[in-house]
Amino acid sequence: MRRGVIAVAMVVVGFALQAVTYLFLATPIGKPTSVRFSNPRVPFAPALFILGVMLVFIAAIVYELLPERGDRRGREGEGS
Amino acid sequence: MAQQAQPLPYGVGRTSRTWVAWAVLLAALAIAGWYGWSREITEGMIVTGLRNIGPMGGATWGLDVAFVVYWVGVSFAGITVAALIRLANLTALKPIARMAEALTVIALVLAAFAVMYDLGQPFRGIVNLFHYARPQSPFFGTFTLVISGYLFASLVYLYLDGRADAAELAKVPSRLQWFHRLWAAGYRGTPAERARHDRTAFWLAIAIVPLLVTAHSTLGFVFGLQVGRPGWYSALQAPAFVLLAGVSGVGMLIAIAAVVRRTVPGAELPERVFHWLGTALLILLLAYLYFMVVEILTNLYTGAERERDVTRELLFGDFAPIYWASVACFVVSAALLILRFVRRTAALPLLVAAGVLVNLGAIGKRYLIVVPSQTHGTLLPYGTGSYAPTWVEYIEVIGLFALGALLLALFAKVFPILPLNRATEGGDAA
Repeated sequence: MRRGVIAVAMVVVGFALQAVTYLFLATPIGKPTSVRFSNPRVPFAPALFILGVMLVFIAAIVYELLPERGDRRGREGEGS
Repeated sequence: MAQQAQPLPYGVGRTSRTWVAWAVLLAALAIAGWYGWSREITEGMIVTGLRNIGPMGGATWGLDVAFVVYWVGVSFAGITVAALIRLANLTALKPIARMAEALTVIALVLAAFAVMYDLGQPFRGIVNLFHYARPQSPFFGTFTLVISGYLFASLVYLYLDGRADAAELAKVPSRLQWFHRLWAAGYRGTPAERARHDRTAFWLAIAIVPLLVTAHSTLGFVFGLQVGRPGWYSALQAPAFVLLAGVSGVGMLIAIAAVVRRTVPGAELPERVFHWLGTALLILLLAYLYFMVVEILTNLYTGAERERDVTRELLFGDFAPIYWASVACFVVSAALLILRFVRRTAALPLLVAAGVLVNLGAIGKRYLIVVPSQTHGTLLPYGTGSYAPTWVEYIEVIGLFALGALLLALFAKVFPILPLNRATEGGDAA
């Protein structure tokens, strides 16, 4: 359950980061009438967009690898 | 009692003298490619055949960009096949899923190298892309979303899909046991873990398919949206890029599968795998040939003056030998595939020949997409330009092919190039 919640949260945050970066942090969308259309509003905004994409896919690793509390207890039981 | 080392399946962890000799040769060629790149870094782009468009009568994008497009195209088929196996339950193609995933990752690494070869100051270029690139620009989609997002997604898919096999290999004492344990990351193959992986792989596949279509389309948009560059500006660029990516990628996959079948111990790939790939290649190739005819007819019949000039240059001018050689490669490949299809046999040599030929044709077409519109497509009153790659560019390209082959060969020696569950089902491989 915990695993699912964390993975879904990562996917949501990842997509949100992409949307926020695209719409509000990167270079403004629109007809390039001045120099402000050439530079990102926040430096390295494109890197943040990529981070958002990566976060979505890292969620898959977290979902598969993160142990549940029950799993850990099961393994400890097997070990003893 | 110490456990006896057992042989791992598919020749993992074992090398022959022939393999080592090939690896050394490939490594030497890859290093030669990097040497060419070092000449660019130390002496500047003057060592290449690239010159400014217009006043210098040259082309600023040449062989390296043609191979960026080519390698990104090759990457398309690998992850598409892997995703379709999962989404459409194409069990016939399961044996090649691993090599398809590896092909995607390796092709994207090679594309990243080709981007760096093309940039005069590679590190400044890379930093600037992440600092200043406009996410609204197709350049962003190509050089950052593809290389980082798409490559990362493919790596995640390859990693998670390999965990079950890694767990199996980790049970066998070997020099690579630590690596397989690390990859398995505690995987035990319980029903809950398998169900979880099925869910993850399904959703990953769903996420990857639109990402890769977007990525390949943006690569087409880099050219197709340039209204001031006759020969590039076309609504067909993006879909044609996706189609040619499929053609070159499936062709490459056929060639690699044939090599794996012949050289990897115990890798008995069933003929139905090649049937599937051959049919897929034929459909994609026929669709691409249709696109080529439509594009040429449109440009010649109703294109603007400069548009027609570029097209004539392709058909009858300096670029005609490359153009017609590419067309010949595609047509001969289509004929071979139709022959195989009609005779209803796997006819592996025909299929491999078609796979290699479509890749040669794709390289020619990528070159023709990139170069002629720069040398012959200026709207300003400059004379026609020219571009001839230098030995630096050629050695870089050869080095990339060698690096790709070396990475694939190394991967096959540390991890099974075919999924192990096929061995369990068939009981013959491991």
